[in-house]
Amino acid sequence: MVKAKELLQDAVGETLLLLANEAIARAVLEAGVRLVALYPGTPSSEIGNSLTQMAPHMENFYFEFSANEKVAIEVAGAAAVAGVRSMMVCKGPGLNVAADPFLSLAYVGVRGGMVIVVADDPSMWSSQNENDSRYYALMANMPMLEPADPAEAKAMVLAAYDLSEELELPVLLRTTTRVNHTRAPVPLGPIARPPEHVVFKKEPLRFVPIPAVARKQHPALLRQIERAREVSEATPLNFVTGEGEFGVVTSGVSYNYVREAIEALSISAAVLKLGMTHPVPEDMIARFLEAHPTVLVVEELEPVLETHLRRLAQLHSIDVRIVGKEQGVLPRTFEFNTRIVMRAMTGVLGVESPIDWDAAEERARSVRDLPPRPPLLCPGCPHRATYYAIRAATRGKAIYPSDIGCYTLSIAPPLETADILFDMGSSITTACGIARVTGQDVVATIGDSTFFASGLPGLANAVYNRHPICLVVLDNRTTAMTGHQPHPGTGLTGMQESVPPLRIEDVCRGLGVEYVRTVDPFQPLSEVVAEVRQLVQWVRDNRAPGVLVSRAPCALLTAAERRSTGVFPEPYYVDVDLCNGCRRCLNRFSCPAMYLNQETGQAAIDPALCNYCGSCVHVCPQGAIKQGGV
Amino acid sequence: MARTGITRNIVVTGVGGQGVLTLAQIMAQAALNESNNVRVGEIHGMAQRGGHVVSFVRIGDGALGPIVDIGTGDVIIGFEPLETLREISLVRPGGHVVMNTHVQYPVAVSMGHDRYPSEAEIDRLMSPFGVEVTKVDAMTLAQKAGSPRAVNMVMFGAVLGLGLLPFGVGTARAVVRSAFGGRYEAINSAALDLGVAAVSGGS
Repeated sequence: MVKAKELLQDAVGETLLLLANEAIARAVLEAGVRLVALYPGTPSSEIGNSLTQMAPHMENFYFEFSANEKVAIEVAGAAAVAGVRSMMVCKGPGLNVAADPFLSLAYVGVRGGMVIVVADDPSMWSSQNENDSRYYALMANMPMLEPADPAEAKAMVLAAYDLSEELELPVLLRTTTRVNHTRAPVPLGPIARPPEHVVFKKEPLRFVPIPAVARKQHPALLRQIERAREVSEATPLNFVTGEGEFGVVTSGVSYNYVREAIEALSISAAVLKLGMTHPVPEDMIARFLEAHPTVLVVEELEPVLETHLRRLAQLHSIDVRIVGKEQGVLPRTFEFNTRIVMRAMTGVLGVESPIDWDAAEERARSVRDLPPRPPLLCPGCPHRATYYAIRAATRGKAIYPSDIGCYTLSIAPPLETADILFDMGSSITTACGIARVTGQDVVATIGDSTFFASGLPGLANAVYNRHPICLVVLDNRTTAMTGHQPHPGTGLTGMQESVPPLRIEDVCRGLGVEYVRTVDPFQPLSEVVAEVRQLVQWVRDNRAPGVLVSRAPCALLTAAERRSTGVFPEPYYVDVDLCNGCRRCLNRFSCPAMYLNQETGQAAIDPALCNYCGSCVHVCPQGAIKQGGV
Repeated sequence: MARTGITRNIVVTGVGGQGVLTLAQIMAQAALNESNNVRVGEIHGMAQRGGHVVSFVRIGDGALGPIVDIGTGDVIIGFEPLETLREISLVRPGGHVVMNTHVQYPVAVSMGHDRYPSEAEIDRLMSPFGVEVTKVDAMTLAQKAGSPRAVNMVMFGAVLGLGLLPFGVGTARAVVRSAFGGRYEAINSAALDLGVAAVSGGS
């Protein structure tokens, strides 16, 4: 990651190698944004990580890691209503969480500029679905911009604020993983300084959308979006490059693949690149369709632009061959690359490819059935010990609703403690549904950050409706999966200030949970197992929710601290005189730092990977795992 | 691609925690410092937790998108034999593979549920790709430099020593020096030099 100091420098014209996420953080500084609120979500996470580092050094700037996306968009939306520039950032599913206020915001509008950054994840590198957030722009009638690379991402944030203030509407900046996580040269621009305070000017008949107000706002919003279309017709963000009979319409990261494919195939083509994709420039598109007898639409995921093109061709009675997803020429799933675009073009135009893709694909197929290496819970991860105990205490027979975080990786053998998952917070609520209709033991697990983000309403529901569920809160003191952001339980804010943390046990008791206990997952495993057993028994006896908080810091944090201090504990090792090769450690605990010595048939520990948690000591029935000098 | 000749496509592949992203970033910074256009394709989040990690570095004016696709990679830098094999289809015929020989078992193998391919099998599976393979015992050299975590810089040195990058060792050294602080700067610089030495004649 680029250091905050570099992102903060007042050096116009300097070029930095930035992720689009870092470029967006820099744009916050250049646009004079007063407030940013977000809940971290990959692939957008580095925007917040950069801003929290920058925030204490920026003038008149406030940054927060909000409790969740709905909270974040409301905090940021209100700041823009008050009259300053604000931003909210989320991943695709995060905008679903914020959908309710998102739609209201389009109705009431803003006074200061507001940009909502949403990062979609084609190919689902780190998401539970492939939702195409562009539909939100259509549904809410909110203008939308889509950058193709990091430099454009920064430029578009600046353009989006101007557009937002011109239209008095929030603007959606929609990115995808291959934009967010591309690193490229980005030139720095001048820094702007936001105002310290503004005065909130009351205007309830605009900002309180009771039905009488909203009925006026909906037609007004449609008039604004028509104005936005006129902007879209004229903006340099929408342009045609190249010329030829063959036309291509594209947006976002696909624009790069289109340009590379055209060059590789040495063909002539006119490319309509749309940077503003809602509202689309209808007249510009109609003219483009009239001028090109064949038009290929290149966009990842849903046929959003393609549908616009077909609609406009019909509306303007244009005789044009529009090719895209409807004919199956391009897929509706997963991210694109230059090969996919080249293959679509060679199919449509009947030209030869200079690269023999069939041969390359056949060679690729010759290497298969390799041992997989999926992502895993790290060596020394406290979740592994907790899940081992949950599984042992319930003999693998309970139902295990899971939630969103690293710990969903417990789906893999041998832990296999993830049975159902919908979204953030669903562990608690799905547990309620299952417990109510099955009568089986249900042990749900939720992380600390997710607990504060979306767990509280579900827990209130479980208490009030007396759902007999066991909830284990995996408190590793951070939002680990997205890169260790703080949350309300950590005691650190986005501004890097220390504050009193909210205690999960107190919150649970406050919500009326009668059974709340705490365990350290790294105490001897038999004691952790006993705690889980006691929880399950209490819930059976009392037919109400019970909570066990399993608390130990994320292994990555512990390891980083050891590296910085240079102080390491004595290593763990397997005593070859005691190990009888039963493989219980490998088969049931499955720490990535342990392996089977193929020659001796005994277990072994890789000292380079071991993170010194010591849990494996208690897994071995022979007492063969020891700590100390070998 | 008219500009293909000057666009260098590099694939870095390894296991989460080995420093794949760090090397990609340092390599790209060195390229940028020599006034090259550059793109780095990274994947973060779920993909990192001890799982397979691959990152792309593209250097040259033709580099617009972040992805190196099958059959188009000029160089594969593999931090681990199995993970090198997993991405071998990305290399173009005539390309170059630089591979760390130190094995890190995936859990299925550690548990004895799956078998790790032998060195001969790996060589056999790579041979149809028509690439030159350079093997480096980067783990031993990294330990010699002072830390097993410096494998990525040993590999960087090896690729530089083979002349596979459009910039020299001096540029690389300067970026490595500014990227790491304290005692890690010395370790990583030493690792880089050991990597260069490992592939330059005599050995």
